[in-house]
Amino acid sequence: MSARLIIADDEPLARARLRAQILELGVGDVVGEAASGIDAVMLAETMQPDVILLDIRMPGMDGLEAARHLCRLPQAPAIIFTTAYNEHALAAFETHAVDYLLKPIRSERLQTALTRAVLLTTAQRRTAPTISGGKRRHFSALIKGSLRLVEVDEVRYLQADQGYVTVKHSAGELLIEDSLRALEEEFVDEFLRIHRNTLVARAHIVALERDSLGNGAVVLRDMAEKLPVSRRLLSAVRRRLRDGSSTKG
Amino acid sequence: MNVNTRGHARVRGVSKPIVPPTELFLPDLCGIRAVFAVVMIGELLVFVLTLARMGFSPQALDDLALLSLYVQLIGLSAAAALCISRRWLNQLPEPAIPILSYGLVLLVATLVCELAWRVVAPSVDSATIGLGHGDFALRSLAISAIVAALVLRYFYVQFHGKQRTESEARARIEALQARIRPHFFFNCMNTIASLTRSDPARAERAVEDLADLFRASLNDAAALVTLAEEIELARRYLNIEALRLGPRLVTRWALDALPQSTPIPRLTLQPLLENAIYHGIEPAPAGGEIVLMGTLRGGQVEIEIVNPIDHTAAQHRGNRLAQDNVRQRLAAHFGTRGRLIVNAATTEYRVLISIPHVYP
Repeated sequence: MSARLIIADDEPLARARLRAQILELGVGDVVGEAASGIDAVMLAETMQPDVILLDIRMPGMDGLEAARHLCRLPQAPAIIFTTAYNEHALAAFETHAVDYLLKPIRSERLQTALTRAVLLTTAQRRTAPTISGGKRRHFSALIKGSLRLVEVDEVRYLQADQGYVTVKHSAGELLIEDSLRALEEEFVDEFLRIHRNTLVARAHIVALERDSLGNGAVVLRDMAEKLPVSRRLLSAVRRRLRDGSSTKG
Repeated sequence: MNVNTRGHARVRGVSKPIVPPTELFLPDLCGIRAVFAVVMIGELLVFVLTLARMGFSPQALDDLALLSLYVQLIGLSAAAALCISRRWLNQLPEPAIPILSYGLVLLVATLVCELAWRVVAPSVDSATIGLGHGDFALRSLAISAIVAALVLRYFYVQFHGKQRTESEARARIEALQARIRPHFFFNCMNTIASLTRSDPARAERAVEDLADLFRASLNDAAALVTLAEEIELARRYLNIEALRLGPRLVTRWALDALPQSTPIPRLTLQPLLENAIYHGIEPAPAGGEIVLMGTLRGGQVEIEIVNPIDHTAAQHRGNRLAQDNVRQRLAAHFGTRGRLIVNAATTEYRVLISIPHVYP
């Protein structure tokens, strides 16, 4: 049985070279090519490859983020990172079951990596999410076996409830497994904590209202529902909103 | 060593502190060498004064001793005062430091002068001293004022000299860092490796372009070349990028109207184009257009590089290193007539360089 491979790289000539090398080595079939992280994730979901060769620096969604989403797939592919320059502290990956190759990639090195990747079990392939790569631009969750991606920019608020976090976005909602505390740290510039269980997207805040009893509530764009601000956080929220608007001019 | 809060800049994704100017206006006047220098200056002054007044007469020695005591008292007190207030003075805005230091020295001189008069005057009659209180104070103060001005002027010149040496050294390091991005280099090598299989003729041209680019970057960045040469180098650079980025990169050239023989520092356009690609084209999934527009206006050759800003991309960073480097080199060659102006709108990023048509 021959391994099924996907190549993801934004440079056409880089993809062409990898394809030619794989063909020469006879280590697998290239079943698809992607030019961005998000294309790679969508292609991987439909094609269910065994291995994906993932460039780190890609427009839109980079390779590190794509890897985090790919690991949620029921048939997660083994990920081999490719990069031109190890500016991403790649040494960190060595401890994981993920390989990485420096471009221009040597055929021998490619062969070793592919041979090893094909032998990994699905569980081993999933070890990648522990990568502490920067900030995501999408949230992802598996719904009835298919991967759903939501752009962080589209999200109105995040609400924690019984071990899950509800991602409320412009076109619905998504349940994800991250902790609200971790999300607050990851998106410290984008989201603002207004309540023990709620983070709101600063870009979508329209107003901060106070009723006659002194309770605060945040009004969000395109949302009828107002989100309560806890008393303890009210002054902090007001201050951060004011600072934010002044820096943006 | 003072801690400089603006000493950190994001440099091409890697956080590197830009070395802040650590030189302070006032040197440490408490150190043994500084105290020695103060004593020496004081003693030389005493010699000059005594020599001028009395020549080599035997009385001169007595006078020398008394005057030494007096001058050293002023000199060392002033040094001590500056030493104690140095930390506070050096935090002030630069123009205020020499003025306040000067004032402090004169204040100390006045105090010592008064003190000396009070101690000495009652025991000696004014005929021996040969001058009254007011006269004594005036002379002391005038001499102190002149010597303090000279010494502070010396500090000032030394301070600016060191500052300039430091900023030149920093500019050289930045120039080295700005020359080639490793990311660009290795991707370029990968492109050539790929073309070697599929299109050897284009691979050959890519190697030639890369070689030219490297040769230019290894040459002295302070040298002037003609605009025609600089444009040619920019084209070679964009040829390589076009191979990598394919249809995502569109370039539009409108530089024909410019006088091609205009002198320009080598590698002025290329680093700015590299920024345009790195920040404007590479992060955008659909790519974009880079425009180079040239105009001749009032004896100035102006070249504007325009690239789109991709809002889905991560924040703009690391632009400044190359820009500062180009700006410094333009200023070094053309003074105020060599300028780099950045204009960042919401959708477009414009960098304008302006240089004189004829070398000034």
